[in-house]
Amino acid sequence: MKIPKLKLKSQLALFNALSKALIITLLVIIVPYLVSEISIRDTDNVLIHKLDQVIELVDSLGIDNYIDMESEFKTFGSYNILKEEYISIEPIDHDTLVDVIEFSQRVIEEEIVDYRVLSYSIHENDNNYLIEIGKSISTIYRFQYNLKRFTFIFLIVVISLTFILDLSFIQYLLKPFEKIVKKLKNTNHPTSFNYSTVKTSTSDFLYLDEIISSLMQKIEAAFNDERDYISNVSHELLTPVSIIQSKLDNIINDGQLQEADMIKIFESKKTLRRLTNLVRTLLMMSRIENEEYILTEKVNINNTITNVIEEIEDRISAKELTLKSELKAKDFIFKGNENLLFTLFYNFVNNAIRYTDKGFVKIETLKQTNQFIVKITDTGIGIAKDKIPEIFSRFKNSHETKDSYGLGLALSKKICDYHKIKIDVISEINKGSSFILKFPA
Amino acid sequence: MRILIVEDEKSLASEIKQFLEKEEYNCDLAYTGSEASEFISVNPYDFILLDIGLPDYNGLDLIKEAKEYNSEAYFIVITARGELEDKIKGFDLGADDYLPKPFSLLELLSRIQAITRRKFGQKMAEIQFGDFILDTTKKHLQYNDHAINLTKKEYKLLSYLILNKNRILDRLQLTEHIWGEFFEDDYDSNYIDVHIKNIRKKLSEYDDTNWIKTVRGIGYKFEIQ
Repeated sequence: MKIPKLKLKSQLALFNALSKALIITLLVIIVPYLVSEISIRDTDNVLIHKLDQVIELVDSLGIDNYIDMESEFKTFGSYNILKEEYISIEPIDHDTLVDVIEFSQRVIEEEIVDYRVLSYSIHENDNNYLIEIGKSISTIYRFQYNLKRFTFIFLIVVISLTFILDLSFIQYLLKPFEKIVKKLKNTNHPTSFNYSTVKTSTSDFLYLDEIISSLMQKIEAAFNDERDYISNVSHELLTPVSIIQSKLDNIINDGQLQEADMIKIFESKKTLRRLTNLVRTLLMMSRIENEEYILTEKVNINNTITNVIEEIEDRISAKELTLKSELKAKDFIFKGNENLLFTLFYNFVNNAIRYTDKGFVKIETLKQTNQFIVKITDTGIGIAKDKIPEIFSRFKNSHETKDSYGLGLALSKKICDYHKIKIDVISEINKGSSFILKFPA
Repeated sequence: MRILIVEDEKSLASEIKQFLEKEEYNCDLAYTGSEASEFISVNPYDFILLDIGLPDYNGLDLIKEAKEYNSEAYFIVITARGELEDKIKGFDLGADDYLPKPFSLLELLSRIQAITRRKFGQKMAEIQFGDFILDTTKKHLQYNDHAINLTKKEYKLLSYLILNKNRILDRLQLTEHIWGEFFEDDYDSNYIDVHIKNIRKKLSEYDDTNWIKTVRGIGYKFEIQ
């Protein structure tokens, strides 16, 4: 059986309740037993004390005072009207010494009464006598019964009280701890961490809070360094490119060059553009890795895809392909980054168009067993089975004929990972490819 | 028109200046934020090209400052840092456009022209060539009274060519202008050629003039006397 994970507070409360229930049960069983033991011992002491008094009386007044050896009943008996106690003295024949305390029943005035009876033999005037002192135990029983009931109620009250007290104390004690946990729960990014200290009188929590804060500070600093670094690299790389580009623009604009030179300048611009795209794509990937894009926009995926199609449909018609769009998924709203998702779909559709010379490119949205799916299918050149695993790695190109640096799909993969979207690829050489994007629920 | 170029890369600043002066804009150069701040307080500018990655100044503060001087200048923000927040912050503070480095000088010019048209209204909105009229506010083309049906991209391409008339535009510039900075890694695509072919076909239904000349190996040029 899997034990459910509980909060510390609940675990403590649960343990508290269970341990108290155990204590109640034990006490309810043990206390009456102990009490009866004690009251019996107490009764016994009273009996012994009374016996001493009786023996003293017999010694001072003589046994004859109690027993008339001439009479028909050679016994002495005395009990009080409520039959709670009785004393009897009678002669016995045998020589054995008797000295016992036991429970026994006596019939007094045709009524059976439970007694604790002390029997003791004495030797007086050459005769043996047995002294019995009895004390009714019905009072003990009643006391015991009352005690049982009372302890039970008492324990319930006391324990519920302490339970409530314990619980509120635990609650109070763990409040700072819960605040720390809440702080961590609310932090999905180091920059969103709340650095205000949690008020607590518990040194451990104080320590925990301080350590977490200082670790978070380190993470945030590392994150900011990384961001500055990316931003600086971007600046350092793109500024020189920008200078060259402007110079080339001015050369072309002056219009004093021969045609052959113009073409060379244009080729250089193309190379520069390639470099720019490379840098931009790499930077975008670093930014995704550094989690700089917010993922909290509510994106209507069908709308985004419609925008992509609008942006790209002229390419479809330029290549004389058919565009099929089947946006069947209703209410396809996904929490993510709209710009990144646009880039993602744009890349996939653009790729599909690029590697397809005949047939169609199809874009679908659908819902399969509660999962939203975007599917991009083409009738293009396809990808060999053994090449499929590597199409998403950087600088790998499965289409040897085209000169590309294979960053497009690597970027798409990054965007998918960032949004926890799963990609499935089905492809067959010269038949076409299908990219299936499975969105997290 | 008077333009202030705020750019700490001297070499880039002078290229921009050279290009814009040829287009008959008056340009001042400021290499630092404090220089720029001084210029703004003294001179009225129509445009301020602002690189927000200045060593001594947060470029965005300059926009605020300029607004305080009641400057009516339009701001075009330039950055190589490509920070998304900068773009958003820039627009929030009243920047009129945003260009990521590296940009083509023609693109810069077309942004300046677009803002000018937007702000100065109808006068410059209609451009005539032959019996064609290109209406840049309604974004459509007509021949005498016939409306010519152009797709969005075709219109964008044609108007860009016309606004840069008699100038060679290479395929990259055209691609960049039409598709923006999408991650295009197909450098030899012929999408532009297909669009040009379609535009030519549509124009030739009305007029035999070859308005759009092909510049072999480079791109196209819209020719008008």
